[in-house]
Amino acid sequence: MLDSRELDPATEFRQLYDQQYVSVYRSIRGVVLDSAAAEDLTQETFVRAYRARLRYTPTAPPGAWLRRIGINLAISYLRRQKLARVLPARLYVAPDRREYDRAEARDVVTKALSTLSPKLRAAIILHYYDGLTREEIASVLGVPAGTVASRIAKAVAIMRKSIGSDQDFGPERSTNEGALRGR
Amino acid sequence: MKVPYVEDKPTAGGSNPPSEDDLSRMIRDTVESWKPQRGPDWSGVLIRLAHSGPPAWLLYTAASAALIVILVTAFLVGSALQIGALGPQPVPSNLH
Repeated sequence: MLDSRELDPATEFRQLYDQQYVSVYRSIRGVVLDSAAAEDLTQETFVRAYRARLRYTPTAPPGAWLRRIGINLAISYLRRQKLARVLPARLYVAPDRREYDRAEARDVVTKALSTLSPKLRAAIILHYYDGLTREEIASVLGVPAGTVASRIAKAVAIMRKSIGSDQDFGPERSTNEGALRGR
Repeated sequence: MKVPYVEDKPTAGGSNPPSEDDLSRMIRDTVESWKPQRGPDWSGVLIRLAHSGPPAWLLYTAASAALIVILVTAFLVGSALQIGALGPQPVPSNLH
């Protein structure tokens, strides 16, 4: 979430780093879905932001400015690595369906996120986690607000379908398995 | 705006999608559970800044300036020494 207290990157960069590090990390991880790469890209985001701190103009909050750098770095990283094509197969490890809890729900969300393209993931994370409006996301991603709206709608439709099929399948199979074992 | 059609009712043997509010909550819970292993490391940023080369715009500007200097120098040297096409050319005698 973006903090209400806005720090000036030119004079308070160190405080901005401490304040924004975790949320920038989460936004980037939401795009790359890889914790180690996300940490590396987060550091790189702040390195690039530090170099550009004197050119920062307060047309957007510093948090949105940092996200713009971070998300663009993350998308470039995925483009370079060509990870987007292999992410679903690499990330998803089938969970134990008998222990259906919040941890599994998180796996389900991660799996659903991995079925989206990096640009759809960026829109979803910026909207639902960072709480940015469509106009703010449009500014971060450098696309029109209408494009953001259609990306969010498309991503939500794909994720609902993916999560719905997972959750529907999971508990029913667990119950059936329990019933069979009980016989 | 054209919004993709999403079926809300579960179909027989099909999926039971969460509502948009549920999805929003699930995404927030998931993302908030992500914690960086190393955490903020300001000295790491300083080390990267110290080891990183010049910015790309400076590199391209310097390379372009160097190329222009090389081309202008080559032209001046070629003209002074009358080398190749920069030397005096024979005038065809049949031209009036």
